[in-house]
Amino acid sequence: MTRETQIAEDAALWVNRLDQPAIDTSASRAFDTWMAADVAHRDKFTDLQALWHSDALTEALRQAAATPGVSDAPMGLIGATRHTRSRRPVVWVAATACAVLAALFVLLPSLSSITYRAGIGNGRSVVLADGSHVALSGNTELRVRVLPWRRTATLVRGEAFFDVAHERWRSFHVHSGETTVAVLGTAFNVDRQNATRTAVEVYRGAVALDAGQSDHLVLRKGDRARVVNDRITTQAPDPTAGAIVAARPDWTAGWFEATDVPLSVLIAKVQRHSARTILLRDAALGALPVSGRFRVSDPARVFDAIRDAYALDIRYDRGAVLIAPSRDRQGT
Amino acid sequence: MPVSLPQIDESDTDVPDQDWEAVAATLARYVRTRTSRHDLVEDVVQETLARLVQQNRQQKLVSVYAFGFRIAANLLVDHHRRDRRYSNETEIDHASDAPLPDRVIAGRQELAALTAALDAMPPLRRNVFTRRRLQGQSCAGIARDLALNLKAVEKHITRGLADLHRAVMLANDAGNDGR
Repeated sequence: MTRETQIAEDAALWVNRLDQPAIDTSASRAFDTWMAADVAHRDKFTDLQALWHSDALTEALRQAAATPGVSDAPMGLIGATRHTRSRRPVVWVAATACAVLAALFVLLPSLSSITYRAGIGNGRSVVLADGSHVALSGNTELRVRVLPWRRTATLVRGEAFFDVAHERWRSFHVHSGETTVAVLGTAFNVDRQNATRTAVEVYRGAVALDAGQSDHLVLRKGDRARVVNDRITTQAPDPTAGAIVAARPDWTAGWFEATDVPLSVLIAKVQRHSARTILLRDAALGALPVSGRFRVSDPARVFDAIRDAYALDIRYDRGAVLIAPSRDRQGT
Repeated sequence: MPVSLPQIDESDTDVPDQDWEAVAATLARYVRTRTSRHDLVEDVVQETLARLVQQNRQQKLVSVYAFGFRIAANLLVDHHRRDRRYSNETEIDHASDAPLPDRVIAGRQELAALTAALDAMPPLRRNVFTRRRLQGQSCAGIARDLALNLKAVEKHITRGLADLHRAVMLANDAGNDGR
């Protein structure tokens, strides 16, 4: 193989690899290295990428698909009827059998549910069988079932950001406790803050939120709502977001934006990133409302921030972090 | 027991500086190939670079190039959508996914070359390629549907794309010679 063909094949391989909604990080670093290495690499990749994206290619493929070869084409109905009548039933039976076999082949592996888990401090992103993308926060468990007629995900614990592949005829539901989010083709975040408390925020498109009561609420891009027990409360859009709604939630970059959220909720988030167990020594402390933008992926920083802001005493024990009201405050 | 906590260094001093010149030149080549509106090229490249540099400052990008191509492609789509909205009054409605108007003429020759090359392609390769590019199926999905292994699927796509590109280049050369 000449050097030129080698470059062309490598470049084409990258075009194919990069054409997906999410690219895994090791591959894309290798891509930059390859691109930086040689201007011939960059030029070839660029030309192939432009061709891959071009409308001419779409059009050519469409035409080719519309006028298929003899083997896989249904013949023109009028002209072909007389000649093929005697053979037609055989063809149809064979075709149907093939279709059924192919369907079984495709569907069987996905009938059972798949469980995705992310360990403490290790978010991960997964691609579901239908092409939807889900980013899992730390200490998160998600059970997914993709059936030919419906898609369901159950957030057992933790937080997940969904970017759902739009399919008109196949619904996508996310269950979090008693809360159900029905997806209408979209990107949204579901945060299971505890057994009876779930927060939902929509980044693109719309979802219908059902808290187990008869009525449901439709959330659109930029909308946020919280379900506590079976009550839905809508929240004002994120004030820091400005006119442009972010494409992804803060936590995918390790942040949590809190406005009067119980301390226990913040702690649960930090816990997703902390190897040590975080304990509140005073149960009442859990209800303390906290506000601010916290880097939950860095527990030490969060502890520093809340220590001063809320007058808390924070101690690092062997396997645990203990949080208590500060003694100064108790004294005064 | 107090524990000393590690300081997080965010300065990333050990990473060599990104060669932005090379990135800009590469993106310009891409945008130039994709649109015949020359006035657009500069704008799209500048805006892409601005976003890249800003993103990279906030959080080190894993791949500047992959991200750059994505931004540029999105910006091109935005521009053409806007064009179409303005021109709707004077033109017959385009189907929503019709080819970008300014590419129609430039692409005619290319289209003929592509159609011929697709015709000449082995049927399996054409099938794999169509599923990937037209239907947006994943390689794993295609491998499963056609009972191929993943490597074979990738090979069909990369060979197919390289062949199509060669056909387009030959057609362009021939066209230029003839003029």
